[in-house]
Amino acid sequence: MNINPDEIILLQAGWFQINATIFVTWLIMLLLVGGSWLVTRKLTSEGPISRGQNLLEVLVSSINHQIEEVSRQPAGPYLPFIGTLFIFIAVSNLLSVVPGYVPPTSSLSTTTALAISVFIAVPAFSIAKDGVRHYLRQYVKPTFFMLPFNIIGEVSRTLALAVRLYGNIMSGTIIVAILLTIVPLFFPVIMQVLGLLTGLIQAYIFGILAMVYIASASKTHKKTEEKGEQ
Amino acid sequence: MIINWYTVMFQVINFLVLVFLLRRFLYGPIVNMMEEREEIIYKREEVAAAKKEKAELEAHNYRQKVELLQARDQKMLEEARADAEKERMSLLESTRLEVDETHKRWHKAMQREQETFLHDLRNRVGRQATLIAKQCLRDLADATLEEMVWHVFQQKVEQLPPAEQTRLQNAFTQEESIILRSALEPAPERLQELTTYLHAFFSQPVQVMYENSPELICGLELEVGGYRVAWHVEGYLKDVEKQILGNLSTTSKEEVMDVQAES
Repeated sequence: MNINPDEIILLQAGWFQINATIFVTWLIMLLLVGGSWLVTRKLTSEGPISRGQNLLEVLVSSINHQIEEVSRQPAGPYLPFIGTLFIFIAVSNLLSVVPGYVPPTSSLSTTTALAISVFIAVPAFSIAKDGVRHYLRQYVKPTFFMLPFNIIGEVSRTLALAVRLYGNIMSGTIIVAILLTIVPLFFPVIMQVLGLLTGLIQAYIFGILAMVYIASASKTHKKTEEKGEQ
Repeated sequence: MIINWYTVMFQVINFLVLVFLLRRFLYGPIVNMMEEREEIIYKREEVAAAKKEKAELEAHNYRQKVELLQARDQKMLEEARADAEKERMSLLESTRLEVDETHKRWHKAMQREQETFLHDLRNRVGRQATLIAKQCLRDLADATLEEMVWHVFQQKVEQLPPAEQTRLQNAFTQEESIILRSALEPAPERLQELTTYLHAFFSQPVQVMYENSPELICGLELEVGGYRVAWHVEGYLKDVEKQILGNLSTTSKEEVMDVQAES
């Protein structure tokens, strides 16, 4: 049984190849961007608003609220990154109800790519906000001897982020596939529903963890500043 | 290997592109729109708060005006009541005066009417009494009575006071004829007797002229140059009438006083 979409090659031209993961990701991107464009081209600030605008406003404001709750900072700079993480993962997972659909998040390559993005985003946001020195200083906190552990922690949490999402989605897909061979009727449907729930929760967890990592970088800096002042 | 680094690279790029596109087509417009709406709502709230404040102020002013109007109404009502009461009392007083006046007028008219009636009654009673007496004497008048009248008359003439006698004599000097009036024609011997007496009285011859006078009931009247000597029942009857009328007048006054006291 082959459920790794990376191995489904759709187009091959020399070294350039398009596998199912990339293709489905593009479809999802098209869906998200196209849907957003369709809704946001007719936005209105007064009078009755469309259902699509209402949905998007609820979605964006909810993400904003979550980011502000976790980071205790204005959500503005983090919204595109964290929001896209959540929406992309959630849509990828929710579309698994479509028969024959293989979510790109069930590919370790995709989850790794997302985790790497977070891994890069954490120092990027921190440096953009507080500068390089402040960012690097937190690796030697509380003492210099903690440097290796901090580095290991940084890498391992990125790895965990990737593997957690991959493991959950991939396992859900595999379970449904296995159940289809054992109990072909009804029971796989329940598992599909559970898979939807799991997919949504994983998207939420991924987004929240990413935000926590980003926020913790600047939070540490904030605490240090406060101690220095004292 | 389970991780395809080629795909990883593609997916990182895809993700970054997606972040850019969603920022362009989703977060930017939606966030801007929400901020714009918040701004609009905030402005509306400000306008509403200003309007509310203005409305409260106006409501306060109107309440004050209403209270003022109510107080004025109350005052006007009280004044109107006082005026009405005053007018009522005035009308009552004028009506009372009018009634009193009418009552007095009516009373005076009634009194006048009563007096007129009593006066008429008095006159009628007096006259009737006199007429009855006249009728009685007229019915009783006969020769014997005539003689008695003559006798009484002669006595009256003879018993005239000296002053009257002088005046009578003086009057006779101016006039030569003496007029004798009577209801009944006297007998010739009586007339002669009188002439003789008068002759003696005046100390000169006299001529007595007789005139019939029916109104002299049982009486005689001698007129000498404007001076009269008479005796007849008419005089008595007039005295009687006078007396009756006097009595009736006293009685009627008492009655009027009784009526006034009762009213």
